[in-house]
Amino acid sequence: MLSIELLTGPKVSRVWKLVSISLCNRFRTNILDSYLLGGLFTFMPDIKDSFQEARNNSGIQVTEFNGEKIPFVLGLKDIRKTLKDWQNFSSDHPFKIVPHSEDELRSMRQIPIEMDPPEHTDFRALVEPFFNRPTEPDYMEDMSRLINSMITDIITGREVEVVNEFALPLQCRALARLLKVPESEADQWMEWGMHALTEGSGLEQYTAEQFARAEKQPEDNFFSMLNKAELNGVKLTFEEKQGIANVTFAGGKDTVINVVSSIIVYFAEHPEDLIFLKEDERYIMTACEEFVRYVSPLTAITRTCPHATQVAGHNVPAASRVGLCWPSANRDESVFEEPEKVILDRMPNPHLGFGFGIHNCLGAPQARLIIRSLLRALCEQVKSIELISFEPRIENEESFTRQVGYDRVVVKIS
Amino acid sequence: MAKVTFITEDGNKVMANDAVGNLMEVARENDVEGILGACGGCCSCGTCHVRVHPDWLEKTGKASEAEQDLFDIEEGTDERSRLSCQVEMSDSLDGIVVEVAPF
Ligand code: HEM
Ligand code: FES
Repeated sequence: MLSIELLTGPKVSRVWKLVSISLCNRFRTNILDSYLLGGLFTFMPDIKDSFQEARNNSGIQVTEFNGEKIPFVLGLKDIRKTLKDWQNFSSDHPFKIVPHSEDELRSMRQIPIEMDPPEHTDFRALVEPFFNRPTEPDYMEDMSRLINSMITDIITGREVEVVNEFALPLQCRALARLLKVPESEADQWMEWGMHALTEGSGLEQYTAEQFARAEKQPEDNFFSMLNKAELNGVKLTFEEKQGIANVTFAGGKDTVINVVSSIIVYFAEHPEDLIFLKEDERYIMTACEEFVRYVSPLTAITRTCPHATQVAGHNVPAASRVGLCWPSANRDESVFEEPEKVILDRMPNPHLGFGFGIHNCLGAPQARLIIRSLLRALCEQVKSIELISFEPRIENEESFTRQVGYDRVVVKIS
Repeated sequence: MAKVTFITEDGNKVMANDAVGNLMEVARENDVEGILGACGGCCSCGTCHVRVHPDWLEKTGKASEAEQDLFDIEEGTDERSRLSCQVEMSDSLDGIVVEVAPF
């Protein structure tokens, strides 16, 4: 603890915040160790690559969720192969797309994520034009205006907590634009907090009301589009529409918020990189991909094996699940040089942060536009970010622990 | 100034004059259908796949290891496949012809 006394100013408050985080002792120690040993601040200081050893030893890590053993596939190339082979690694498993079953959090399957071809292909084609709106010039300009004005609002030189007061409203307002609904709707989504899909969040009831309202009074928005939509001449069922809406709200919430918050922390700790970013417009693109790779806010998505099969050389019994571990793929040292480093002009950067293949993230155009617009706004408007305190968000599972972002980040921006 | 011809999947020809940057950027500048360039040119999305005309293969060179890793699991790729974001325009590529390919 001696070293703490040597620190001054914001460092002191940061260290004390870290000490006070209500985590188990082991992680408290890890955080402090790496913090003090590292000497200087480091971005995401506590938990490094949680899967490195297993990735290099056997290529899988057997994890356990509520008594169910789920081998996580860890190497980038093994994950790509698994993604490709949807017949043997199926997404057709309602409630089970993430390791913890979501049967208590929702009443219907999410669409198109919990489907295989040909069903998946049809549903995806139906909604894809809507999810691709962020590539239209007017939409891009509008997003840039939104983010620029939200950045202007927090350049006050006074303390601001960016997770709840910036990243969360940003994600919600951006989603209102994607769905073509009034921005005032975002106020309600903000109240649900980091995750749209938590017990009692009311997401299902909310989307049901929106479909009913759109039925009575059709408008040019996401809900009316789904009310009108037909597949092979047949309208979608209520449950299908709900399933599409559910993943649209749930899929892109904490993921976007965690990347946005992590970017703010990163530039507070690496002010010189903000100057570097201004040198070449291309760096906005490469930096965006690098933050998605580095933060990898989504830990794992699963597939179910209808037949006994093998993954990364290991046997998997029929009817069991395997996990695709994106952050591990994105730290794979056989693909990425210095994977632990944030390299803003990293190229090539074949990361799997948004998945790959037929289920690749439908929200990626939206997420990329948010991140790129944020990076541009920071370059144009921000001189410095002073980190006052932060609380990492830790996913604490039975078989592994990793940081996915932040619960709280207090900064002063000028 | 370097010229590029893109042949889209439905057989249309799009000519780009004064091509600078990488081929994906040139395609986007000229609204070439089928080249999305979703990741902005980082070799991660595959939405900029082209097949290089055989006459130009020697000059562009073959796919790098990072590109090949993406192609290995795709059926619609062959030895002429490149990610256009990984092909930087230069005077030596003046006149190049590439076919837009699905991914
Ligand atoms: C940085 C932010 C994000 C990350 C890291 C991320 C990550 C992912 C990943 C890894 C997948 C692949 C799942 C699989 O293979 O089964 C996925 C799929 C999906 N994501 Fe995202 N996502 C993000 C943002 C968003 C946003 C903003 C939305 C909605 C607006 C969204 C909606 C979806 C949907 C609907 C799918 C399913 C696609 C399909 O099954 O065809 N995501 N996402
Ligand atoms: S633009 Fe994404 S791989 Fe070329």
